[in-house]
Amino acid sequence: MEAMIESFCKAVFYPILAPIFLPINTFLGRVYQPWASICAVGLFVGAMIWVGLLLNKDYVNRGRSHKSVWTDLRLWTVISMTPHVLVYFYFR
Amino acid sequence: MESVIGLHFIDVIIIVVYMIGSLALGLYCTRFVGSAEDFFIAGKALPFWAVGFSIVTSDIGATDFVAVAGAAYTNGVSAANFDWMGSMPAMVIAAFVFVPYFWRSGVFTIPEFLGRRYNTGVQFVNGLIWAVVLFFMLAIMQWLSADKLMHTILGWNTYWTLAITAIITGIYTFSGGLTAVVFTDVVQLIVMYVGGFGLLALSVWKVGGWTSLHDKILAMGPAYQNHFKLLLPHDTTGPFPWTGIVFGLGLVMAVAYMSGNQVIVQRTLGARSEWDAKAGMLFGGLLKFSIPLMVALPGLCAIVLVPQLGAENADRAVPAMIRLLMPAGLRGLMFAALFAAMMSHISASLNSTATIFVTDIIGQIRKWAGKGQMSEKTAVRMGRLLTAALIISTALLAQPIGDRPSIYVYMQTILSMFQGPLLAILLLGIMWPRATGYGGFAGLTLGLVCAFVLYQTPGLFFAQDPFLFVAWWSFVFAMIVTVVVSLLTKPESEEKLRGMVWSSVVRDVDAQDALRERIAQ
Repeated sequence: MEAMIESFCKAVFYPILAPIFLPINTFLGRVYQPWASICAVGLFVGAMIWVGLLLNKDYVNRGRSHKSVWTDLRLWTVISMTPHVLVYFYFR
Repeated sequence: MESVIGLHFIDVIIIVVYMIGSLALGLYCTRFVGSAEDFFIAGKALPFWAVGFSIVTSDIGATDFVAVAGAAYTNGVSAANFDWMGSMPAMVIAAFVFVPYFWRSGVFTIPEFLGRRYNTGVQFVNGLIWAVVLFFMLAIMQWLSADKLMHTILGWNTYWTLAITAIITGIYTFSGGLTAVVFTDVVQLIVMYVGGFGLLALSVWKVGGWTSLHDKILAMGPAYQNHFKLLLPHDTTGPFPWTGIVFGLGLVMAVAYMSGNQVIVQRTLGARSEWDAKAGMLFGGLLKFSIPLMVALPGLCAIVLVPQLGAENADRAVPAMIRLLMPAGLRGLMFAALFAAMMSHISASLNSTATIFVTDIIGQIRKWAGKGQMSEKTAVRMGRLLTAALIISTALLAQPIGDRPSIYVYMQTILSMFQGPLLAILLLGIMWPRATGYGGFAGLTLGLVCAFVLYQTPGLFFAQDPFLFVAWWSFVFAMIVTVVVSLLTKPESEEKLRGMVWSSVVRDVDAQDALRERIAQ
């Protein structure tokens, strides 16, 4: 059954989809380091900047019972993301 | 079959005490269940640390210990991407975009939220997808744990193990609902950490330290040169090329998993405040950072310590390391850690599947039949009955569903088939007021068709198992369909959208009042 579905899709959809996906694969096949690391680390750093600088402070911390620097979720975001940035830098 | 680990009497005592303790803690939580809210979302009383612990424990199964270590043995540290790239960015997005909406709208399930934002058709289709997927996952997890893990490692009879696991997890989930699940999760994660880090410390010590491990693996030949790289080239034939990791995993599968997976989101819905819900997500992300250290690094150490295993027996890396390194007593603790992971994974899925069946499937059918909403008592009774029915039926069907040669790829493929379309309609529903019910329904259903076609058409991607690319492209396709169909259909009324889209929730005080009124109704 699965083989039948696969051969049907290969016959019907491959001719339509291959001209879209194969040039993308060829292009991405030429792109590797340093862009892979820049994209990966950029995801973490971008998220930190978004929460730390762009989001409204009250929105980020709404619902906290007492105000203090230790209950500020902007700080929590930076602390919890930093180790991830370091491992992507180390294992590049 | 001979026991691979070789347990001593003291190990057996530790395991039995642990199993009885889990059952007792779960049954103790029964006293906190008085309403549907108590059973399904722990009465909205969970502190951030319990939410964080429970998110991590629900996400890490016993099979992760074995399969991720095996993947690290074969592919190197790139196996850790699922807990690093596949967690933290998605958890931040979930914490600050999705969780506040789910939490404020007072819903029990994600399909229920989609029903309020779009229409009951979207809610029903989404609920049905999740219920079927979680049912399959439950059966697969039980089979994996009983057959691939307990039978392989200990030589225990598969069917007896299946029955014992089903009875223990079934009883405490049946009785105590989410409260029992979360508090046993906290204990289970602590046991997992002690066992996991114990194995890591002994492994690294035996190899001679990190530098020695690094040098020895790289000296083993060209096949090992990428073992210390997290990001592999796009044209690699393995399952983890960097493009798939960043786009398919980091931007789609992980976000959909953390934001749209009932098992994960149910824990944040049970938080005692919005701050605890968000903080629980971030705390969970920080805890998850250490998971690859205790599951993937022992797999790397196994390359040096048990090189005779070979790629075909990579999944035996953890059992082999336990046998080689751990003394009596610690072996029992490590086994308890594996058992803890297995039980928490099953109980989490069990509670969430019952919640979706009661809220989105039976509840919706009752509404369409004109029977009105269920009473609190009926909902709890039905939740418990379904919990019992689910654990029995999935245990009975565990072998036919779960007995497959490549179960990890099978599970990831199931998830990738619908996570792209689900994320697309969730994201547009929250961010774009113009998204309509028809748009959401078309995006979800046609997105599923697109994922199916991409997966079934070979030769489109370099990777032999292209589930990461299927997730990404079905997400893009579902976004386009939802936008086009929404623009062609009548916009939703302002009244319906109040408190449901991001801009109004962040800036509009009236919208907050409308939301509170809606919850109170």
